[in-house]
Amino acid sequence: MALQGLEQTILRDPALFYWILIPITVVMILTGMLRHYATVLMNTPPKPASTLAESRERLTLLRAVNLRNHASAVLSKESFEMRKNYLVTGFQNGAFLKDPNNRGQPPANPMTDPAAMEGMMGMMKGNMMMMIPQTLIMSWINAFFSGFVILKLPFPLTIRFKSMLQSGVMTRDLDVRWVSSLSWYFLNLFGLQGVFGFILGSDNAANHMAQQMGPMNPAAGANPFQPGQDPHKMYLNEAENLEVFEHFCILDGIEERVLRKYGAGEA
Amino acid sequence: MAASLIRGSNLKTAFHRSQQASVLLGQQSSGRSLSQLSILSREGSDDFDALEKLFFSCIQSTDDESALLCLERLTRRFGSSNERVMALRGLYDEATAESAASLELSLKRYDDILSHDPVNLPILKRRIALLRSLSKTSDAISSLLQVLNATPTDVEAWCELAELYQSQGMSPQAVFSLEEALLIVPYAWNVHARLGEIIYIYARSLDGEAMFKQLQLSIRHFCRSVELCDDYLRGFYGLALATSPSLVNEASELAAGKETLLSLHALARRKLEQTLSAENSRQAHLRQYDESELSMVENLLSGL
Repeated sequence: MALQGLEQTILRDPALFYWILIPITVVMILTGMLRHYATVLMNTPPKPASTLAESRERLTLLRAVNLRNHASAVLSKESFEMRKNYLVTGFQNGAFLKDPNNRGQPPANPMTDPAAMEGMMGMMKGNMMMMIPQTLIMSWINAFFSGFVILKLPFPLTIRFKSMLQSGVMTRDLDVRWVSSLSWYFLNLFGLQGVFGFILGSDNAANHMAQQMGPMNPAAGANPFQPGQDPHKMYLNEAENLEVFEHFCILDGIEERVLRKYGAGEA
Repeated sequence: MAASLIRGSNLKTAFHRSQQASVLLGQQSSGRSLSQLSILSREGSDDFDALEKLFFSCIQSTDDESALLCLERLTRRFGSSNERVMALRGLYDEATAESAASLELSLKRYDDILSHDPVNLPILKRRIALLRSLSKTSDAISSLLQVLNATPTDVEAWCELAELYQSQGMSPQAVFSLEEALLIVPYAWNVHARLGEIIYIYARSLDGEAMFKQLQLSIRHFCRSVELCDDYLRGFYGLALATSPSLVNEASELAAGKETLLSLHALARRKLEQTLSAENSRQAHLRQYDESELSMVENLLSGL
């Protein structure tokens, strides 16, 4: 452990700076950009529905969600009840399904369904885009640059940071402020988000977070069903949600509200 | 009534825009080599959006040559098998059609495309628009119902269906369609105002208890539209119309109370008068509203 109060000095070759610190940074930025463009190129947009029935199966669910979310802002009691009854009956007897005869059967194995396969391939490709460059760069850095101490932080840190900042340098007594080359790689890996946002725009694919969030929020018009999900079950679920939905109408008492709004403006 | 007004003002802007077409198109062709070099630039998609809008403007103002230029440029970029480009091509063919026979030909071409690819939405919609302009309204309605059965979250289609029903005098159905549209875009004040108008028209065709029930609903939708959009002229116009004292005083009982409705009427009148005087004091090119819109308001105010 470092001696308290005594400044450790290490004589560093300035070449370390030019030949390790800068190359690692540049390489990290370049791989990030490469990954972004590779993802854009290999990205397959979600497949649109191939028949009208399929499109209905997907969008009717969204319609029910819309009804639930917005009914209070638009509908009177009667028209809400009418729509609710229509959708709930339809959901329960499977009128909106692509093929109502298959209702209740276990979902097809996603491995045999080509459409589901394609979705999985897309996800796999995305994961590969992340994995392969990272493994390559990591092993490259390890082979060429490991074991160097390349910079010193201008502020003191506690001992816990040692494993984070000095991976690849096995010295017990080195001050935590010294950063090893391998650790510099990790810092770059997680810290360049801002730089990518600046270079590529905010919705870039070099971003880890975007990669992970991607499948969570499908774009409009996309399939609300994940591969392997049984639409009928989702429908029954939604029917239940509609059944318990408590309707109120914001149009009640709107006359007074408008009067108050504009009346206040006049006075 | 008001719908035609709005279309009129759109035509004017379309004409202005298409007058700049030659300039814009010339610029784009000289800058094209540059934009091709910078494939990586992210602004590319905006250009084509603008190009599509320019195409519509040119079609509206019968500048077919510029429209064809736009179309060719879009086709070069996206290929002729792109769904949107196909629809634009169809629109161009319809616009330049000389006779009813060539329109029928377009219709047949759409049917052909749809037999290969039944979910080509832009073409499906084009076909419905064509049916409508061939005044086969009932055909248009039934195909639109098919489309909506498959895509029940399409605002544009619901609104179109409402207008089609309204043109056939089927107000309850039109009201239903507009309500569906509003469920998807609940804050669209113009749709609220339009819904209010349709319910008002429907209410006037009824009498007695039923009429006042519908009238109440119509007033509420007008109220909602002016609540969402400050000083919305069309909303206040409808509000003044629907709360006119001659109607309200006839009513035996109304949920909101007569005094409230009468003060709403006074509010709407005041707002309309304010808008009128403000617009009239401005110079013509600074006005927000058309001459015809303002004269409608004037007529309404003097008639009430």
